[in-house]
Amino acid sequence: MSILPQHKYPLRPLTYAPTCPRLCCIARVTCSATTTKPRSSQNPLVIEPRLVTTPDLVTTIPSTGPPLPNDPSLQSTWSHRGWVASGCTTLVISLAKAMMGAADSHVWLEPMLAGYVGYIVADLLSAVYHWGIDNYGDASTPVFGSQIEGFQGHHKWPWIITRRQFANNLYALARNVTITVLPIDILCNDPVVQGFVSICAGCIMFSQQFHAWSHGTKSKLPPLVVALQDAGVLVSRLQHSAHHKPPYNSNYCIVSGVCNEFLDKNKVFEALEMVIFFKLGVRPRSWSEPGAEWTEETDETHPQVTVH
Amino acid sequence: MATSLTLPNRTLPSLFPCHTPKTQSSVSQCLPLVSKSSESQFYGLKFSYSSSLSIPSSSYFKTSISAKVNKGSVPPSFALKDQDGKNVSLSKFKGKPVVVYFYPADETPGCTKQACAFRDSYEKFKKAGAEVVGISGDDTSSHKAFAKKYRLPFTLLSDEGNKVRKEWGVPSDLFGALPGRQTYVLDKNGVVQLIYNNQFQPEKHIDETLKLLQSL
Repeated sequence: MSILPQHKYPLRPLTYAPTCPRLCCIARVTCSATTTKPRSSQNPLVIEPRLVTTPDLVTTIPSTGPPLPNDPSLQSTWSHRGWVASGCTTLVISLAKAMMGAADSHVWLEPMLAGYVGYIVADLLSAVYHWGIDNYGDASTPVFGSQIEGFQGHHKWPWIITRRQFANNLYALARNVTITVLPIDILCNDPVVQGFVSICAGCIMFSQQFHAWSHGTKSKLPPLVVALQDAGVLVSRLQHSAHHKPPYNSNYCIVSGVCNEFLDKNKVFEALEMVIFFKLGVRPRSWSEPGAEWTEETDETHPQVTVH
Repeated sequence: MATSLTLPNRTLPSLFPCHTPKTQSSVSQCLPLVSKSSESQFYGLKFSYSSSLSIPSSSYFKTSISAKVNKGSVPPSFALKDQDGKNVSLSKFKGKPVVVYFYPADETPGCTKQACAFRDSYEKFKKAGAEVVGISGDDTSSHKAFAKKYRLPFTLLSDEGNKVRKEWGVPSDLFGALPGRQTYVLDKNGVVQLIYNNQFQPEKHIDETLKLLQSL
């Protein structure tokens, strides 16, 4: 199996940084028969067809364990910090333009409403992306392969994200935010648009931090973070822990979690999975028993985190 | 078209009708989106339909106009292969009530829940003197594996090409993207007494059909 390097990111606001270092020397075991009619995806960048319908799907078994706390792959580099700084700069410019435009026109309500909509949309987009990455493709999928692998590692070792340094955790999203928001900063002066963009892109960029906090222990988190989680402003530890229980098919949001109830109650992703299955013959991972590479391991170096 | 619209007081509207019961004791004009005949929810808006529909889908529209199997009618007979490859005809069940449930596909979450729910309540169906028959477009080998894996005690029929599904007029969901999930209860004379449609709450099919059977 090959792990594709990340050469570039497409121009879109959403990318999730891998939360685990890339695994080397991975053996893949593929087994079981298919009863569906697999078709190749019409968009090779998005979905790679899976050819099995019964358990024991394509199984990637890592030969290495989780990274140690002082592993360099968890540390921030100056490049990481640079991207985070540039991402924040574009967001500040966007927010400033929204505020200046609102002040000039004395119309504050619409930009603020647009910002709120951006907050909700960011949560929704985080769920859609997370669902896609968790259920389709694998490490060899073009563009998304490393992130799929990263999310796989995250399911296996969820606590690792809490040991990842800030810029290391956010830089990939920050890079995409920079690429996407900078042209909007330059070209657009509409305070409503900038209100939406600054908040939406900001929530997306910091979603990995919110995600990391949702894996934290209450006693170790800043009181303000705990308060925001309890208030439902940030995705809560309880909500996100529900996602880490088999079959890993709910609570996909990682910004605020406000969309989780709507998405899960209305079985939005189940419907999408059924449509994709019938149209493309591709089964999502959540339909089958999780393989070894997705099943959570306990953290032997630290006590099991109890969500409270 | 008699349509009424009401907006519920909610922050985020519901997309699918997860909570509203969809028992149809009368003729069903099932909606592809919302699987309900006389009332449906879409994005939190309640639609009450009297006859025609506004959802743009010509194939769906044809299905609704000519819903081929209605309550009170005798459905067209069929002969399909079961999970053991044997030909099974609907006439085989004459003289006793039959629950015929059409489901999208084997080994999908909803269909598995539904099959297991029928399995778990099978004794109640037997007590009511009824047979249970599941029909999907999967082949006999898929049915065999599915029945074996979940220890299903009832017959699964292979409707390859979905011929019987079309003959009976089972509506699709989500603008035709999904085969519908619809259950028919036939009395001992082979007359349809209940049509129940619910794509995303598969266990409710069992409750509704048992309720009807107990009144037959």
